[in-house]
Amino acid sequence: MKLRISILISVLAIVSAPLNAQSGREIIQQVKDRPDGDSRYSEMTMTLISKKGKERIRKINSYSMDIGQDKKTLMFFTYPGDVAGTGFLTWDYDQIGKDDDKWLYLPAMKKTRRISGSSAKKDYFMGTDFTYDDMGSRNIDEDEHKLLREEELEGQSCWVIESESKDPQDIFSRKVRWIRKDCLMAVKVVFYDRQGILHRELHVSDVKQVDGFWTAAKLHMTNVQVTHQTLLSIDNPQFNTGLSESSFTVVKLEKGEL
Amino acid sequence: MKRFALLLGFMGTWLFLMAQEETEYDFSGFADTYHAVRSSEPYMLMSSRTRLRTELDISRGRSSLFASLNSKYNAILDDQNGIELREAYFDFSSEHWDFRAGRQIVIWGVSDGMRITDVVSPMDMTEFLARDYDDIRIPVNALKLGYSNTFLRSELIFIPVSSFFIFPDSPDNPWSVFPTSGFPVYEVDLEQFPEKRLANSEFGGRVSFFLSGLDFSIAALHSWNKMPVLEQNPSTAMDTLFVKGLYERMDMLGADFSFPLWQLVIRGEAALYLGEIQGTDPGTGSDIVLRNTGNFLFGVDWYPGHEWTITAQYSHKFIPDYIERLDSKKNTALGTLGITKKVFRSTLSLSTFAYVDLSNKGFFMRSSADYALSDQIHLMLGYDWFHGDEGMFALYNQNSEIWIKAKYSF
Repeated sequence: MKLRISILISVLAIVSAPLNAQSGREIIQQVKDRPDGDSRYSEMTMTLISKKGKERIRKINSYSMDIGQDKKTLMFFTYPGDVAGTGFLTWDYDQIGKDDDKWLYLPAMKKTRRISGSSAKKDYFMGTDFTYDDMGSRNIDEDEHKLLREEELEGQSCWVIESESKDPQDIFSRKVRWIRKDCLMAVKVVFYDRQGILHRELHVSDVKQVDGFWTAAKLHMTNVQVTHQTLLSIDNPQFNTGLSESSFTVVKLEKGEL
Repeated sequence: MKRFALLLGFMGTWLFLMAQEETEYDFSGFADTYHAVRSSEPYMLMSSRTRLRTELDISRGRSSLFASLNSKYNAILDDQNGIELREAYFDFSSEHWDFRAGRQIVIWGVSDGMRITDVVSPMDMTEFLARDYDDIRIPVNALKLGYSNTFLRSELIFIPVSSFFIFPDSPDNPWSVFPTSGFPVYEVDLEQFPEKRLANSEFGGRVSFFLSGLDFSIAALHSWNKMPVLEQNPSTAMDTLFVKGLYERMDMLGADFSFPLWQLVIRGEAALYLGEIQGTDPGTGSDIVLRNTGNFLFGVDWYPGHEWTITAQYSHKFIPDYIERLDSKKNTALGTLGITKKVFRSTLSLSTFAYVDLSNKGFFMRSSADYALSDQIHLMLGYDWFHGDEGMFALYNQNSEIWIKAKYSF
């Protein structure tokens, strides 16, 4: 009997070895460290689709750059006309507890104003189903990560990782990500609200390599609770654009371009 | 018309220089129509205007040319009809240096709707504050040279010919700041501006720092009191009151700051107006009284999330060496309170913004609902509420109005 138990333990140990080889945190760290260039540019089109199928469009040109573990981002709205020229400058800090620096430029007011870096993260981005937090970066230790299993999704081998938020102010309590092993990209994410009820689902498609960097061209976020969707298309992605840190300033924010 | 010809000449020259080169054009703008009716008897039309704003941005490499034109129709005020050159300037910028020349709106400081260090572009009070803020600001003809790096922006500004506040005095205008009927008759001349010569030009500069967790600026301007001080003299028959606008040199030394604190942004401004001309009570002497005045503002913006924004400001003006015949109080205080909430995926914005005259217990509150019917079309409905028996809002305490506006952007 003892022999059978020890064999069973040995077999279980062998079977579970790949699962335990890397922790959830280690995989998320790899995802965060996935090469994506020191700087990048893209043209984003966000299509907001209501329950009745009515569509609204937002177009944004986005520039970002890594400064060590931190990130600086400039986003300029180009459509619709009433918000064209509006810009966001974000200095996104990786350090837990340190609020981001954020500035908003409103062309109608000809003025840049500081906005709070702590509260905006919890809001939806310009009426879309993405939050400011989704659009920025997040320290991996703001969540507790657990590797749930490995499984195939749409023919791709994936890790399934559950990340539980440590911040009670976050709009999600936990999220589950399907991370493709070959490119270290999350291709499906489901978010649960503070009551643990399914809230939003993100499906990522058109994953390809551009200039040697993995990138996704389509992100489809659905708020299943209110049946509202946002389709984010990323066009003309560019990496290692040659931008310098001095490009991410209030002067450039007000100019509306780099 | 002269300005329009100047713009065309400017554009022509620039386009000639840029001929055969790769140039980018961006044409945009909007059409809007705004109508307001007094909410008490006689329920008269307070404003009725329609406008086409066209903006052209031509750029090539590091240089660009921007022009903004208003084509306006006003059913109440004939002198507001026609084509207005709003802004027209040439820009050149390198990685660290930038230069702008032409007609431009210059905004300094961190306050909302109040002027402490923001003394470059004056204000057009043709409809008091019942217009969009960018319509209220008057562009100035200026040369601006700037230097910036990651954390700093500095600018030097030179304004050869100053622009001044516009106050309505037409009998047709419900927002006239002078009685348009009754006794005595008002003869108003606010346009005896300083002579157009180099010695009367304005110049100054501002240095701003944008640091992690803190922005601050210092600024100085050799300027004028752009809001006229009124000198009032009765005719010998006492049937007419002659009102003249007085303008004197003034220097501004100021500073501002803003920093985030959790869900808040704390901001403030302070400015010394050196040699600011003061209004005096009629019949108390004709000599000009100048004072160095202190002007301060403290503001808080609260972003509690869920698309709420709440702002509050307190500003204070202090006149040292006070004498009784000044028509201003020694200490005056003005506050603002603003609340905005966006709902329905940011398609409906509900907002209210109130100026509160703390010294005279009056207020002006503008509340509105702005609905985005589509990506291009906005429909707005609002109410302007005036209250006060004394001070700046008393003049308009019968002007509370309901208004509608539609805007199409392209």
